[in-house]
Amino acid sequence: MTPLAHYLILSGILFSIGLAGVLIRKNIIVVFMCLEMMLSAANISLVAFSRAQGTEGVPVYDPQVLSLFVVAVAAAEVAIGLALIVAMFRARKSVESTAITTLKD
Amino acid sequence: MEAAISSILFYLFATIAVLSAFGVVAARNPVNSAMCMAVSFASTAAVLFCMGAQFLGIVQIIVYAGAILVLFLFVVMMLDVKSEERSLSSLPRAIMGVVIAGIFAGMVTKAALLLPDATAGTCPVKALFCSDCKAPAATETAKGELSGGALPALAPEGEEERSDVKSLGATLFSQYNIPFVILSFALLSGTVGAVALGRKVRKD
Repeated sequence: MTPLAHYLILSGILFSIGLAGVLIRKNIIVVFMCLEMMLSAANISLVAFSRAQGTEGVPVYDPQVLSLFVVAVAAAEVAIGLALIVAMFRARKSVESTAITTLKD
Repeated sequence: MEAAISSILFYLFATIAVLSAFGVVAARNPVNSAMCMAVSFASTAAVLFCMGAQFLGIVQIIVYAGAILVLFLFVVMMLDVKSEERSLSSLPRAIMGVVIAGIFAGMVTKAALLLPDATAGTCPVKALFCSDCKAPAATETAKGELSGGALPALAPEGEEERSDVKSLGATLFSQYNIPFVILSFALLSGTVGAVALGRKVRKD
């Protein structure tokens, strides 16, 4: 069987790729996609811990419930975030993070 | 044999997930990013299936690869975003981002490997071909202590014994009933907020 550590490492790698994307990409839509990847990477480690803490062949279901909540909140967040991106595109005609410089100028 | 095959499938899908995640960050065209994200989410769902969380795997496919991805594609197509000349930010910022993410990945890997029995896993390919290198039996750890070794085996599923969806639903609707109701309000207000933000502002 695959050890728990490998699931956690996979989750950590996916999370940090998402983090790198959030930090280095300019296109806000892609930044948002990387944010979703970070959330789904967190789900992997939640489910892995749920299996690791299980006894007598039955996983602990509390982490899986939390992970279900994460999925639902991610869906709500995407709806709001994409509406914000559309509103920003209407105002600025651009979806690049470098276009938001009102406070800087 | 079965354990080895499931391990090989895990490593296969983990590799696909990581590679397509790189694709999301590296692709210039946002549509390509979205397609790579679909592959990444599908392989993440496969990893969840490997862990025996069938319901969450299905939810991952339906919600992430279905709903969220379609929303992203919809916005990308609607806004007609052209692929960027330089997809990344300035070089110092890109290096800083990669360094921060690398440090984070190193920290998580180190913390995972520091768990007891973390390095006790066997090579799945080797176990497939020679019968005498079986996976070591999970050592007994004290109750409440987390072992980094192989995950405990699942009881067989069935109508009588155990059902993943049934147990998850029982937990969700008994212990977490009130958070579940609050969550539905969060979804409702999210939808209303998206409509309010997305509609055109009238001048009058």
